[in-house]
Amino acid sequence: MAAINVENLHWKYYASKDYALKGISLTVNKGEFVAITGPSGAGKTTLILSLTGIIPQRIPGKIRGEVKVLGRSTLTTDVTEVMRKVGVVFEDPEVQFVMGSVEDEVSLALEPLNLPSEELRRRVNQALRIAGLDESFLSRNPLQLSGGEKQRVAIASAVARQPEILILDEPTSDLDPMGKEEVIQAVENLRRETDSTIILVEQDPEIIQRFAERVVVLNNGRLVFDGEPEELYRNINHIESFSIRPPELYELSLRAGLGEPSLDRLVEMARSGMLNHEICKLPGSRGAPGGAKLQAINVTHTYSGGVRALEDVNAVFRAGELVALMGPNGSGKTTLAKILAGLLAPTSGKVLVDGVDVRALGRLELASKVGYVYQNPQHQLFCQTVFDEVAFGLRLRGAKTEEIREVVERTLRTFKLEGLEDEHPFFLSKGEKRRLALASIYALNPDILIVDEPTTGQDRAFSERLFQLLRELSLQGKGIVIITHSVELAAKYADRVVVLKKGRIIADGPPTEVLTNASVTEEAKLKTPLLSQLCKISREHP
Amino acid sequence: MPTILGELTGEEARNSTYMGLNPVVKILIPLFFSLDVLLVRNILSAASLVVLVFAVLVIAGVPMRVLRNYIILISSLSSFIVLSFVLFTNVPGKVLLECNLLTVKAEKGSLVWKVSITDEALYRAAVFILRILAMIFTATLFVATVSDRDIVQGLRDLHFPLGASVAVSLFFRGISLFLEDFRIIREAMMARGVDFEKTSLSRRFMLYANALIPLISLMVSRSYEVSLALESKGISPTTRTRRRGGAPLRKRDLSALALGVAQFLVFLRL
Repeated sequence: MAAINVENLHWKYYASKDYALKGISLTVNKGEFVAITGPSGAGKTTLILSLTGIIPQRIPGKIRGEVKVLGRSTLTTDVTEVMRKVGVVFEDPEVQFVMGSVEDEVSLALEPLNLPSEELRRRVNQALRIAGLDESFLSRNPLQLSGGEKQRVAIASAVARQPEILILDEPTSDLDPMGKEEVIQAVENLRRETDSTIILVEQDPEIIQRFAERVVVLNNGRLVFDGEPEELYRNINHIESFSIRPPELYELSLRAGLGEPSLDRLVEMARSGMLNHEICKLPGSRGAPGGAKLQAINVTHTYSGGVRALEDVNAVFRAGELVALMGPNGSGKTTLAKILAGLLAPTSGKVLVDGVDVRALGRLELASKVGYVYQNPQHQLFCQTVFDEVAFGLRLRGAKTEEIREVVERTLRTFKLEGLEDEHPFFLSKGEKRRLALASIYALNPDILIVDEPTTGQDRAFSERLFQLLRELSLQGKGIVIITHSVELAAKYADRVVVLKKGRIIADGPPTEVLTNASVTEEAKLKTPLLSQLCKISREHP
Repeated sequence: MPTILGELTGEEARNSTYMGLNPVVKILIPLFFSLDVLLVRNILSAASLVVLVFAVLVIAGVPMRVLRNYIILISSLSSFIVLSFVLFTNVPGKVLLECNLLTVKAEKGSLVWKVSITDEALYRAAVFILRILAMIFTATLFVATVSDRDIVQGLRDLHFPLGASVAVSLFFRGISLFLEDFRIIREAMMARGVDFEKTSLSRRFMLYANALIPLISLMVSRSYEVSLALESKGISPTTRTRRRGGAPLRKRDLSALALGVAQFLVFLRL
């Protein structure tokens, strides 16, 4: 029997020119596990909102077609009624929390059901167990949990209502590898212990392949694929046209010239030295990196509440080098990056830029040497037009109008933003905002560019493009420091990986060495990318 | 669970007995004091209220350094009140000082801007200043002793609808998010070379005005996401639920509540 039936659904947001969904038809049967994937802006979240009735009942716009959830049309059934049978977990767990303790948070979702107290308590405990959280979490503040724990509380809130349909909207995209694994465990428990229909919106092909019986691909508001994950990922050339990526095994097998994805064959090829050397080569080539540009010497930082974020950190960053700064959430990556950029003063120790202590440099001078790009571009865009945004720092430095125009135009071309000069940054797409935030710092021509988690919540194709761009900048001589959770991208693009754990550097070296070091990956809860494993084997068997 | 002030500044009340009171009591006591502010009419009652609220602040263990942060605000407001009573109003009473600031001669006579300080003007200014002081102390007491959770729980025990209780709690959480966003945006401006210490006041004003763009955009997107999350939990402003029994009022809660009501009745009669 169909749990969800979408028939020729078209949806246009009130202020939009184009339809976000263009004729989607989809049937999901009871008990099925269906993954929805596709690039950013493809219409995945819009489709999810349509399945809950929030579209069209709470969001203004134009609808054609119909969605039926458990046989009831979302056009005529009130959202609160639909939600009695449907649970949703959104991408950002924090915005879903309104209560001060895990127990209250999970109970809140049950309040509209008017259950007796004993039943309510039983359901809360059961939901927490499925999400992999024990009773010690009941009294804890959800906002003070780790990323993975927060998302598991959100899953427990949804599961407690015993929904017939559970929708998970990119539940792992904001998480570090450890948090991701915790959520994956929770999804595994869900599969085992409930017979709910599960719809998972996900970018990560490994997760899709591991759980989904069926995958639906959306691209530009259209359904472009509906079938088994295996079938989708085997056709690599086809899926690249949808801007999605296959699992690493499929991609590497193709690049190695294998007809079928096979881990054994790849390892065998690496051992016998037959692995195509292009696979292990970093994109772009140049000589050795330049001299030390930025140095952290015995840096320790303790926040006012007494939390020690960094402990005796020593690190060197060179011109022309792309360094990936990795580690679990709360390991001190952002604190170190802000101290390197002079935005935060270390409690002890010092930071040198070109051998000069940052404390001796003025704000303007320092910003011209070390640029810092924030994780959320919305924090960084405060001018009225794209042109003004890029010109802001140049004007601050008293540059002449002609020079400003020339630099802005060149920068916008570099970041593929030409033609958008007069647009308000507020109205740009997510990817454009991200590129504009980078461009506004790049225009100041800093020697070192520090970029904080630029790929969080972005699709793989965009993340690849962004890393390629940063790689190109490093080849032009810029020092690039990227905070990232993506081991695959770090393995593919970084010259060096620096791993932090509890405020200390636990590894610093080439990706192939660091990411294949079992003790490091175990301690920092990092996944070893297949690429690094193969390249290490290949190097050991020349 | 941190209080509202705790989330904003890391400071909160330390007295475990006061903090352990039922959320309803912790909400009602500041509410009574707020109503008292409307009732006080003379200097004696206003001064008594200030002393009373200050005493409760001390009993609750609110760190005094929190109040020190308000000294500039209190002194500017006090000066503003005194100046407005002296320069822009002519309160009848015993004249203590009088002088003409400006005289403009016109066809139908002359217009005189006269400064007239009377005992009554100073008296009214003092009452106003004490009222504002009482309001600031009351607000401090509320934010230093009440958490998000207390608000939802307390308002629900007072039979407010679930949606409304959650909305009030989110409003207070929104303040700390707003301030955090503002701090990051200010830092992002510094990352591009803005030195706020060396920037003129007018330029600083323009920069802060610019910061409103991302602040509003973040506020709108957050509100949208929160409302989606609440809808997905089946909670809308009209959702009716059967309230499970809240925490019962204990002896000390009832005593605190009785004291609150008693002082309110006293101010009502003063």
